[in-house]
Amino acid sequence: MKVEIDSFSGYRIYPSKGKIFVRGDSKVFRFASSKNASLFLQRKNPRKLAWTVVYRRMHKKGITEEVAKKRSRRTVKHQRGIVGADLAAIAAKRNQTAAVRSQARLAAITKAKTEKKDKEVKKAKPARAAGAGAPKASKQQMKGTGVGGKAGR
Amino acid sequence: MIGLKSTLNVIDNSGAVLIECVNVLKQKVNNGWGSVGDEIVCVVKAARPIPAAAAASATAVKVRRGDVRRAVIVRTRKSVRRPDGRVVRFDDNAAVLLNNKREMLGTRVGGVVSAELRMKGWGKIVSLAPKII
Repeated sequence: MKVEIDSFSGYRIYPSKGKIFVRGDSKVFRFASSKNASLFLQRKNPRKLAWTVVYRRMHKKGITEEVAKKRSRRTVKHQRGIVGADLAAIAAKRNQTAAVRSQARLAAITKAKTEKKDKEVKKAKPARAAGAGAPKASKQQMKGTGVGGKAGR
Repeated sequence: MIGLKSTLNVIDNSGAVLIECVNVLKQKVNNGWGSVGDEIVCVVKAARPIPAAAAASATAVKVRRGDVRRAVIVRTRKSVRRPDGRVVRFDDNAAVLLNNKREMLGTRVGGVVSAELRMKGWGKIVSLAPKII
């Protein structure tokens, strides 16, 4: 069974229905109903008649639902571990409360500060030792200090 | 719906351009009106000028204005209903000229013809036509 398409309205023409019109330039037009044939012969433009398929296609009528369905199908989130952090670790991190996080941050800061202090202390001790030894290293300073020392005394 | 005084275009290369029906040959039921595949008697109302070469040769058929000939209808403006239920209508009336033995005068058919012709025994015309509808 071959279903034809109306050349004016775009309706389907089932067997035994419709009319065929052959124009002088041997172009064939098929019409589902006398309404379509009449409008065609009146040279009406199917793009300007709201009920024709061409008009509806032009103005995007009756296709919105399909588009919405397509969009809803797309984004599907999936959780899985990446290199070096499996799903459990990521989940644990994500599920921490803000308080826990700030606490951890504070702890990290204090830890870093103490470490820095320790480092400075360690640095300072050898520096002082060097300061003590410095007068010996520099002759001028030794001189000055020596003179100063005498003058002071 | 071809009857007395109907004019038809000629779509073969016989030389005639326009013919006027003067009689529709009787069939069992045509009630005096001719449709696609019916034979008519016609008068040539307009014809192409006969080229000198053709005029010189005695064998070639010369169709002149005013000739009375037979023709077969190949297209009608009146819609024709097919056995499968569809209805076919053309933009003009057209015919092909015949001789007295019901053979074509011309050798070519230059236009669309109706598929009814084949059913009515005009297979030759159908086979020569560029498009059948």
